[in-house]
Amino acid sequence: MSLLDITDLKTYYRAEGGWVRATDGVSLSIDRGETVGLVGESGSGKTTLAKSIIRLFPDNAEIHGGSIDYDGTEITELTDKELRRRIRWQEISMIPQNAMNGFDPVYTVGQQIVQVIRHHEDDTSKAAARERARDLFDELGIEPDRIDDYPHQFSGGMAQRAMIALALALGPSLVLADEPTTALDVVIQDRILETIKEKQAEINSAMIMITHDMSVVSETCDRIAVVYGGRVIEIADAETIITNPRHPYTLGLRNAFPDISDDDQELISIPGTPPDLVDPDEGCRFAPRCPFAEEECWDVTPEPQEYEPGHLVECHRADEIDHLQAAAGKKSTWQDQEIGTRDAAPDGGVVDDGAVDDGAVDDGVVDALPDAAADPANGGDDDE
Amino acid sequence: MGLREFVVRRLVQLVFTFWAFFTLLFVLFRLVPGDPTSMFLLDGMTPEQREQRIAELGLDQPLHIQYVSYIEQLLTGDFGQSFIYREPVIDIIVVRFMNTIVLMGTALFFAYLIGVTFGALMGWWRGSRFERGGIIVTLIARSSPEFWVGIVLLSVFVFWLGWFPSSGMRATGGELGGGFLQRYGSIDFLRHLFLPALTGAIVYLATPTLLMRSTMLDVLKADFVEIKKAEGLPEMTVLYKHAARNSVLPLVTVMAIATGAAMGGSVVIETVFNWPGMGREMVRAVNTNDYPIAMAAFFLMGSVVILMNFVADLAYVYLDPRVEYE
Amino acid sequence: MSTDTDTTPQGAVTGLEKRIEQLRDGVGVFKGDRLGQIGIALILVFVFVGVFARPITIEFLNVTIPGLAPHDPNARAVGGRLEPPSLAHPLGTTQLGRDVFSQLIAGTRVTLLVGSLAAFMAVFIGTNVGLISAYYGGWVDDVLMRITDIVYAVPFLPFAIVLVAIVGSSIVNIIGAIVLILWRSTARVIRSQVLSHKQRPYVESAEAIGASDIRIMYKHILPNVLPLAFLYAAFAVGYAVIAEASLSFLGFGDPNMLSWGEMIFTVYTADAIRQAWWWVFPPGIAITLFVMSVFFIGRTLEKVINPELRHQE
Repeated sequence: MSLLDITDLKTYYRAEGGWVRATDGVSLSIDRGETVGLVGESGSGKTTLAKSIIRLFPDNAEIHGGSIDYDGTEITELTDKELRRRIRWQEISMIPQNAMNGFDPVYTVGQQIVQVIRHHEDDTSKAAARERARDLFDELGIEPDRIDDYPHQFSGGMAQRAMIALALALGPSLVLADEPTTALDVVIQDRILETIKEKQAEINSAMIMITHDMSVVSETCDRIAVVYGGRVIEIADAETIITNPRHPYTLGLRNAFPDISDDDQELISIPGTPPDLVDPDEGCRFAPRCPFAEEECWDVTPEPQEYEPGHLVECHRADEIDHLQAAAGKKSTWQDQEIGTRDAAPDGGVVDDGAVDDGAVDDGVVDALPDAAADPANGGDDDE
Repeated sequence: MGLREFVVRRLVQLVFTFWAFFTLLFVLFRLVPGDPTSMFLLDGMTPEQREQRIAELGLDQPLHIQYVSYIEQLLTGDFGQSFIYREPVIDIIVVRFMNTIVLMGTALFFAYLIGVTFGALMGWWRGSRFERGGIIVTLIARSSPEFWVGIVLLSVFVFWLGWFPSSGMRATGGELGGGFLQRYGSIDFLRHLFLPALTGAIVYLATPTLLMRSTMLDVLKADFVEIKKAEGLPEMTVLYKHAARNSVLPLVTVMAIATGAAMGGSVVIETVFNWPGMGREMVRAVNTNDYPIAMAAFFLMGSVVILMNFVADLAYVYLDPRVEYE
Repeated sequence: MSTDTDTTPQGAVTGLEKRIEQLRDGVGVFKGDRLGQIGIALILVFVFVGVFARPITIEFLNVTIPGLAPHDPNARAVGGRLEPPSLAHPLGTTQLGRDVFSQLIAGTRVTLLVGSLAAFMAVFIGTNVGLISAYYGGWVDDVLMRITDIVYAVPFLPFAIVLVAIVGSSIVNIIGAIVLILWRSTARVIRSQVLSHKQRPYVESAEAIGASDIRIMYKHILPNVLPLAFLYAAFAVGYAVIAEASLSFLGFGDPNMLSWGEMIFTVYTADAIRQAWWWVFPPGIAITLFVMSVFFIGRTLEKVINPELRHQE
């Protein structure tokens, strides 16, 4: 029995001229103690998705459909009051991106931890709450006396730890971590992630790790869900996503992140911009930017296919992936396409076995080596 | 630098500003076009009386000596004698001053209370009819001169409805002496206080309301507001304990300037309601050439403003733990 | 409040096109703002009434444009004394038999005169003080800001009363008293704007090519802070009108100029406050309406200058 079961969730924002479909039919379930990563570009809808769980969105947003089942309770049917009393922070808490800004600057950190404890637990005295705050700080590697400091007095890393203390104060079963390390420098990032993992394991809470940084998810997550255009276009266990993804977008994401062990790696970015989510048309949302898009991709919205147990992909060409994978590793595949048009981009790799010349590598060599007749460069007039 | 240094620095500036203000007054009242002595002399005096008067007031001395004795007098609280009342100015002014402080203090208190409360609500319910209406009402209040608001209130609540007395601070024949509580605590007094204080409150609530609203709109965008909501705290707690508390800071400085406006406004409000305060006294003094009272009143008003500016500076630093003392 | 009117990479405002673009943008904001539109409409009405209040004779054309006021506002006994409104006198008469309606119309001129003159001069002084203070810095800045601080300490009405009592209550003196105090807020605000502009590249490059201080201040920096000055001018009109009305109400107004505040003062001295509602209310409402429309316009101007404010409603 999973802890959280999201089914076909739709969160829309009211905008001039229609609805912005920030989350458009997402299904996801999370087990106790599990860490699931939500990966995607900014504007992909990953943050809206997570915040929708506790109904934390601006006034012009609403849950347009779907259900969120938390431990047997249908959250979408709870009144605001019940949501506040029973779910928020007590069961599901949050770690924001910039910890310093997550605290109210005019109260001490301790006051704020005590406040949230005493709000949810009527019978805890102020002294007892303070003790707990001190203990939390201690466990997280902060001087307990510092609970009487103001937020601005903490350094970035320390503030993040304080924030984690606040988030874990009520022993929640699910923590939403919104880019918890993006605002920190790399050295501290690591330690913070470790700390988060440690504490999470201790209280056996599940976590949703929202990030656009693949390296972060690879370290911390059990499963990874890739979000694009308000939908989860691929989800599988971390290992699979990193090493053997099936969706072109995921392939593209992988390329965009530096891998220290690979000296020859070219960083390839995915050209184009995230889709406009206002009343989108039918068809795969990624089609305009996808180098492998075919007619079907533009006309029919792909449904999630379970390619392997636990591995779902929303792509019409998921089974051709072995061919596509190699092409996806080349810069030209991405750069040469005409974004947004229906022309099949240089398909690279479907007909040949991925050895299409992009010119850059072999320039100049052809002339110098006359016995390069067998050089695939000559196969250049095969491209379509 | 530390808190102590900061306070000392500000105190020094305070003294300087006071000095500059006193000197300005001196210049204003002595160096006027035409015959400066004409202000101090009543018509119908014989030449000998004039000379005697001039000698009495020290007006025949060279200016710098006049200046020195002027400063001396100020520091000892000797403002001379009223031409009309024939009593020491200080006695008359002190009582009037208290009356004005009570009136305008009450007006400002309510103006800011309303301003903070409603400004915060307007920011919270942005885009609602409540907010829209609030902005319009506030702007109309700001557009009306103090005397006009007073006259309207008089017409409605006194002339038409007869709910409140029309003038003065207490019913005629009431106790004039007595302790503080007796003077300012009676029902009769409160009935007299209500309308003039309401007038002031209406006129002065525009600034804090609009400022509070606009600061709230900025604060509400902050991350911590979202976190507080995520923590499951009740709406009103997030609104007032967190968002409003963070928005209140700019109002502190604004309140100092408001005191300045209030000192000036007292002149009008007290005239409309015949309130025995410094403002009314000043108008009367100017109209009857009672120069010592006029000067003393002006001096006191300015001093209040300078002092309030100083207090606001300190309060701001105290309220915001992030501010560095510079 | 940011008045970032520069959009060229250098940060300089140059060219007629840029101005037209800004104007278009400004007009756009007004189009979307109901209150601003009401403000403009009302002000136009006031201006119209003010201009045509009394007959205007153009001599060389031998033409007299009739005035809007049905009677000479100063002429006594055009009607009975303290008459309530009637067809002949829509707003009744004063205790001397003067037509209130005509007085109201004529009073518009004083309001417009005082409002615009005082506001213009106050903002003119304030802008220059702020500009010079910020640009030169150092002791110039210290001295000018100290003076501004002291002026801030002076409560307006008491000061104006005393001044007018000493030098007389002509309209010129009244405007002068208003200006002497009103310039202070513009000075502070313009100064802080100029301080931020001083750091920008376009100022540096102007200095590098050897432009004189005056040129830099007035030809380069000034156009950038002008919108802010306009904004303060709009509000200054409102404050000036309230100030003049209050002064007149207290009896320190110019007896030759029949302003709206003066009218209410006259009601008081005639001891007719309780019964002559037709005499008391119109001028007060007129003042409030006028100032209100100016403030509405000012608020919309604020949105033009600070685009962030546009999304707040």
